[in-house]
Amino acid sequence: MKTLSLKNLRKTYFDPYAGSQVTAVHDVSLDVEQGEFVSVVGPSGCGKTTILNMIAGFIPYTGGEILIDGNLVKGPGPDRGVVFQSFALFPWKTVLENVGFGPKMRGVPKDERDRTAREYLALAGLSHAADRYPNELSGGMQQRVGVVRALANNPAVLLMDEPFASVDAQTRMTLQEELTRIWQERKPTVIFITHDVAEAVFLANRVVVLSKGRVLDQIKVDLPRPRVWDHLIEDETFKRLSAQVLQMVRAA
Amino acid sequence: MNIALKFWSGYVRATHRWPIIATIVPFIPVVAIWSIVANSGMFPRAFFPAPVDVMRSFISLTYKGILPDYLQDSLIRLLFGATIGVALGIPLGILIGSSRLAHRICWPVLLFFQAIGDIAWLPILLIWFGFGLTTMTFVIVYTVLFPIVLSTVLGVQSVHRDLARAAQSLGASPIRVLWEVTLPGALPNIITGLRNGLGYGWRALIAVEIIVGTSGIGFMMFDARRAGSTVEILLGMIVLGTLWYIVDAWILAPIERATGQRWGLVTS
Ligand SMILES: Nc1ncnc2c1ncn2[C@@H]1O[C@H](COP(=O)(O)OP(=O)(O)OP(=O)(O)O)[C@@H](O)[C@H]1O
Ligand SMILES: [Mg+2]
Repeated sequence: MKTLSLKNLRKTYFDPYAGSQVTAVHDVSLDVEQGEFVSVVGPSGCGKTTILNMIAGFIPYTGGEILIDGNLVKGPGPDRGVVFQSFALFPWKTVLENVGFGPKMRGVPKDERDRTAREYLALAGLSHAADRYPNELSGGMQQRVGVVRALANNPAVLLMDEPFASVDAQTRMTLQEELTRIWQERKPTVIFITHDVAEAVFLANRVVVLSKGRVLDQIKVDLPRPRVWDHLIEDETFKRLSAQVLQMVRAA
Repeated sequence: MNIALKFWSGYVRATHRWPIIATIVPFIPVVAIWSIVANSGMFPRAFFPAPVDVMRSFISLTYKGILPDYLQDSLIRLLFGATIGVALGIPLGILIGSSRLAHRICWPVLLFFQAIGDIAWLPILLIWFGFGLTTMTFVIVYTVLFPIVLSTVLGVQSVHRDLARAAQSLGASPIRVLWEVTLPGALPNIITGLRNGLGYGWRALIAVEIIVGTSGIGFMMFDARRAGSTVEILLGMIVLGTLWYIVDAWILAPIERATGQRWGLVTS
């Protein structure tokens, strides 16, 4: 069953100053299965963010189709959870209220959504931080909240645009390991955008390489799980796949 | 030296326990100098009264009920005008802040009218509405409106776009985005605007009362001028300053600080 399906997706921006069109996404077709983890890589400006924003419904598309479980995407909606590079936590809400926000919008009563939120916070090892405000947390903790806030809403697809780009290298590795663990437990469908090739391979079942608004190539990643950096960093298959993807990106 | 340090540390601790001391102490030299000059015989007392004279007038006018009545009149006018100003200003600010089209249309007009000061409206207002409450309310609403609209616009625009997007992706309708994201995000700015607006409104009110009033603190001061009572004029000025200080420092500023700091939106 296909959860997410992009068909000949196209996006042109209008530049009012130059009075001309800029085509950011030329023609992208992609099918993502239920429970699949797809990483999208590509050089800067190849249209990754644009594609993700179209799937999220934040910006309209110029041509083609985006289908979620067969339904055409027309705007943002709770079936697509988004994790932002800027974290985008609500500063005036506690961590618990942030995670319970999605259920609250669905009209879930307070007790129940607090219970759900606590359950997801436990999943991210953040039970102790439930009553704190986001500005009292480290960047890594904030993004953990960002991830479980999206998950707690049970989206059909989880969309992530360079979510770990603004945390330090050590924290990033921990977050990546945690994300693979959470993914294994819950099996959400994930589109993960990054320009870190190792990150893309480490996390995904499949890596999609974009170039100038088109899909250049795709690679299956059959590395065993659970994935841990200590093992993979020396793993021959991991090294070979990473080198392969890196070559494609550089050629893109 | 040692004694001075001890005294200073005692003062710091005392002001920490009773912050009002920190407010009053700086005025001691001001009042002292005023008192010395008034008592020196440099000017006639009726021309330059001493603090005691003003105090006496304060007690007598309070006792007669004139001062409390006038104060109440002024405050009610301010509150009335400010309420209307807020009720108009916040929605207008949200509209202009969140819609690029509304911004394009309204912004130049807004700046144009802002440039025409409140008092500059008086001549035409007096012809249209005469000497009365309508004119006064118009001026106050006018004065309060701009700081509130401008701060609200700023506040709305300062809310990170990703926050609204996050809310939408979590299933929030436009109304709920407004309520859960835009308003709280803009709140610290809105309160700053309210604080400024009330400050300007208070000053404008006194000016208007001087010109069109039949009661109120401004009227009292102008009336005192006619009677040549410098004491009452000074009293009026002191009441204005004191009252605004209390409202601003004890009510508005703490609210402003509380909203912004708690959320880490304001770093101070
Ligand atoms: N709002 C916009 N208006 C006009 N052009 C845009 C706009 N947003 C993006 N573009 C252009 O579209 C192209 C793709 O941008 P996009 O942000 O999707 O790239 P990206 O792959 O996410 O890059 P990066 O890795 O740097 O984040 C770029 O050429 C960019 O300049
Ligand atoms: Mg990008």
